[in-house]
Amino acid sequence: MQMQMLHIFRNTPLGRETLLQSAYFCKQNDILPVIYIPKFVKFLMYFENDVVQVDLDGSYLREPDTAEKHAREIVTEMGLEDPRFLEPKHFTASTLPDIPVNFDFMSCPRSITDLSSKIGLGYIGPRVRRIVQSARFPVLIPSSVYKPWKSLAVMFGGSANALRTLRLGIKLSRISGLPLDVFTQEGKRKKKDYEQIIQDEGLAPEMDKYVRNWRIFEKEPFKVNLYEIPHDALILIGAFGHGLVKELLFGNTMEIVQTVCPNSMLIVGPNYRGSI
Amino acid sequence: MELTIQEFCKCLDMPLNTIERWIRQGRIPVKRVENKCIFNDTALRKWAEEHNLHYHPPGEMQTENSSEKLVTLTEAVESGGIYYDISGDTVEEVLAAAVWRMESIESEEDRKVLYNSLIAREQMMSTGVGNGVAIPHPRTPLDREGIPTQIATFFLEKPVDYRAVDRKPVYVLFILVSKTSKQHLHVLSRISYCLRDNVFLQMLSETPDSQTLKGKIREFDAILNGSG
Amino acid sequence: MDDRLLLIFLGAVVGIFSGIAAVGLNRGLIAMSESFAGLHNYWWVFAVPGIGAALSSVFLEKFMKEGAGHGVPEVIYSVSRHGGLLRLRSAFSRLISSCVTIGSGGSAGPEAPVVISGASIGSNIARSFSLNERQRIALVGCGSAGALAAIFNAPITGLVFTIEIILGEWSALTIVPIAVASVAGAQVSRLLQGNQIAFTHLRFDVDITTTLAAVGLAVITAAVSIALTLALRHSHRVSGKIMLPLWLRAFTGGCLVGLIGLMLPEVLGEGYHTIQKMVEGTFTQGLGLVLLLVAAKIIATSFTLGWGGSGGIFAPCLVIGSFTGLMYHRLVDFLWPGLSWVNEGCFALLGMAGLVSGILQAPLTGMFLIIEITGGYETILPLILVSALSTTMCHAWEPASFYFKDLMERGHYLRPRTDAKVLADMSIDELVEKDCMTVSENMLLGDFIKVVQQSHRNYFPVVDKETGELKGMIHLDDIRPYLFDPLLYETVFLEQIMQTDIETVDIHEELSDVLDKMDVRGLFSMPVVANKRFVGMISKATLLDRYRHELIVQTQH
Repeated sequence: MQMQMLHIFRNTPLGRETLLQSAYFCKQNDILPVIYIPKFVKFLMYFENDVVQVDLDGSYLREPDTAEKHAREIVTEMGLEDPRFLEPKHFTASTLPDIPVNFDFMSCPRSITDLSSKIGLGYIGPRVRRIVQSARFPVLIPSSVYKPWKSLAVMFGGSANALRTLRLGIKLSRISGLPLDVFTQEGKRKKKDYEQIIQDEGLAPEMDKYVRNWRIFEKEPFKVNLYEIPHDALILIGAFGHGLVKELLFGNTMEIVQTVCPNSMLIVGPNYRGSI
Repeated sequence: MELTIQEFCKCLDMPLNTIERWIRQGRIPVKRVENKCIFNDTALRKWAEEHNLHYHPPGEMQTENSSEKLVTLTEAVESGGIYYDISGDTVEEVLAAAVWRMESIESEEDRKVLYNSLIAREQMMSTGVGNGVAIPHPRTPLDREGIPTQIATFFLEKPVDYRAVDRKPVYVLFILVSKTSKQHLHVLSRISYCLRDNVFLQMLSETPDSQTLKGKIREFDAILNGSG
Repeated sequence: MDDRLLLIFLGAVVGIFSGIAAVGLNRGLIAMSESFAGLHNYWWVFAVPGIGAALSSVFLEKFMKEGAGHGVPEVIYSVSRHGGLLRLRSAFSRLISSCVTIGSGGSAGPEAPVVISGASIGSNIARSFSLNERQRIALVGCGSAGALAAIFNAPITGLVFTIEIILGEWSALTIVPIAVASVAGAQVSRLLQGNQIAFTHLRFDVDITTTLAAVGLAVITAAVSIALTLALRHSHRVSGKIMLPLWLRAFTGGCLVGLIGLMLPEVLGEGYHTIQKMVEGTFTQGLGLVLLLVAAKIIATSFTLGWGGSGGIFAPCLVIGSFTGLMYHRLVDFLWPGLSWVNEGCFALLGMAGLVSGILQAPLTGMFLIIEITGGYETILPLILVSALSTTMCHAWEPASFYFKDLMERGHYLRPRTDAKVLADMSIDELVEKDCMTVSENMLLGDFIKVVQQSHRNYFPVVDKETGELKGMIHLDDIRPYLFDPLLYETVFLEQIMQTDIETVDIHEELSDVLDKMDVRGLFSMPVVANKRFVGMISKATLLDRYRHELIVQTQH
């Protein structure tokens, strides 16, 4: 079955940019965009073990008359078929719709709750984080201006989640035909440890087939090395499942990358279960 | 026990998303960690039984039904054998002579059973299919130890009135013995395909030696396998 | 640890926490009513309920962004559709808002708020332990039972209400932890506020006259229940049409309640003091006034709840019920002066049972609640009669009770072990048969017949090879006439034979809708599409097979 991607449309110039990126992503990977044009300022997403309430920024409700037309235009101009428009079927309360969660991807701006003026590097809103934590789908966080990417960049740190991210990268590279680069920072683990992990997981043949370049940074700091990531790459990165304390102590690659890189990002949460 | 969720679904023969939902809803005594299902084998077996589900762990997957191999004509003719100069003036006589010449059957009792069932079939309606050929066979599959699915070919000493559909006397018999109905229909459909071929019929009427006949059968097999 | 033991242990924990929440709300209400006690001499006192209602609606909508009603339907909805997932904010939002509404004099009860708080506590504890849905639902039940047991000091009521209203399912697996939670909640309440029976009374001498008279009372309570339901619904509708900001609407409603309260102060607040007086038999006002009070309390309650105040329906039911019982008693006294029978307090008590049972359509909850909060077991015979008859009459008038009305209208009334629940749980995704052989519209009939030989199905979807779009269907019946006509094999394309006028199912549709479609058109199988692309077939045969499995799995524990 064709993969589907949820996009919550905001009928503003900023919303147009994000939808353009979503549409580009869909075009590349043969995904059907599913567009939700909010009629209420709140909605709920019932995940497997969490319910997330999203209180949208008021600008999502602006200009409802032209919203569908605009969304359709953006999507079809990208050369895609008509999108599916999502009508919530269930309501927890009369003004509180439930949005289904059985999608393959979701596109989310860096912040969905706060005013758009807050959106900038180094900031990912709390709701978006909760969605990433709970969802079975990866979340696309588009950059604020539409910029088609020409390659995929996977941040690979050897963890279980990083392996899932790598698998997703290989899958998308296979479907879209875009070149795939892998970036790894040496730390406690050295190059051969990483290669061993790949071997153990049986990913070596795919690595050889799809990965254009595996860049392993030997020098610190990681932040500076990030300049090596192509400016026109879609970054794929795992968001780590461990708790707040661990993240405060050891830092978090995702936080560093999202603070430094303005690229569009595809964040793979701990509940993502995908195959190549 | 520990299985991946995909293997686990196969054990219960249910779709993946149903099993995932059951685990999520706590309807099935299984714990899920990442992509693995962890469960107690006896508890699950009991649960499946209580809930009318079939549970086959990977070790005891049922295989015999699905992978029943259909024999080819060559194999069937090979195991049946080809015999010449069968004597007799009536249907009963030629069939008796034929059955007692078959080398693939060892016990006397089996021969009797086969003979009786062949006669019973002939009494219902002649198996003479026309053009001097008959395909005697038991009405129900003959599933006996040591008797493979086979076509035994018999060329008669002299043509016999077999009450065939076209009333022509019969000079060749293909005795068809099969283990299952499915095999029977399969072999029967193949042999009847051969009998529609005029060149083959011509060849049969000239009483070919066994090598020529087997060669021709092999050609048919090649055609039938190629198309199907 | 064994799963069952873990669940019982967690049930106790949930019961304790929700008990604390309930006691907290109770304390808050006492504190509020004490601080407002000195105000009743001022002329502007009528505005206090208005301010309270406005504050509570602003708090709930703007600050907590709750966006949902008084709570119990949300709990039922989440239990039936989402395995009991509730938002963490619900654990305290209703507590605060209802405390403000009721404390300032709004006519509402604290029970629905504590029920959703307890339920949300249970749900979130289950979440942090990553329990599965069945266990989570049990803990949601534990929370609701614990809270209700604590606020009334009535453990059986907590248990029965949860089973009867929230879960709708009697199964040993859930009852045990819920019972434990009820005990824990009630115990917490006894520790913190003492073991007191809410409404103490003298001993009633109940005889056959009372039991017979109870039949008449049941008719009256049923009528009053219906009146209250109608008033609530009507005020909801009216307030929905008024184009005022939320807080102003709540303020107006509250002020109206306050105005009624100026004349009849008994209608204000949750009204437990009044009930106490009536049960004791020390409420002296005459028949006319009591009749007026019944009407006034109904109106006050609908202004409070319908216009944006926050709170439950339980306590107002009790108050209205006791007024009704009193009214009935005095009416009978008036018609047969000198009749020597039971004290009017007994009828106040029976009236409460009748109203609770009638509004909630839950006879067991009504009976046990009244027995536990009054300690009046001697009234059990007329009590059962009133509860049962009142429920029956209300059910005959409107099968959907107060809590279920909205859910039924939106199609969310999914009780366990029902057809609707089984169908709602299964998705089309699980039933689609994907092993169909698709054919192209440019295929020749001859090639198609070869495909037919290989397949074991009767339906063949015709699909555009480029886009995957479903173009039509071919059933074996469609080619039967041409099957033995080799001339057509090489001349006819499938496009010419296929049926194009076909009913399809979208993969996102609800199963119950799909079945309706099949029934209306008399179909046994239909093609499933996702955005026009063919996915597979759905057939009644597979559906029945799976439905049965699902039913067995859902009903046999």
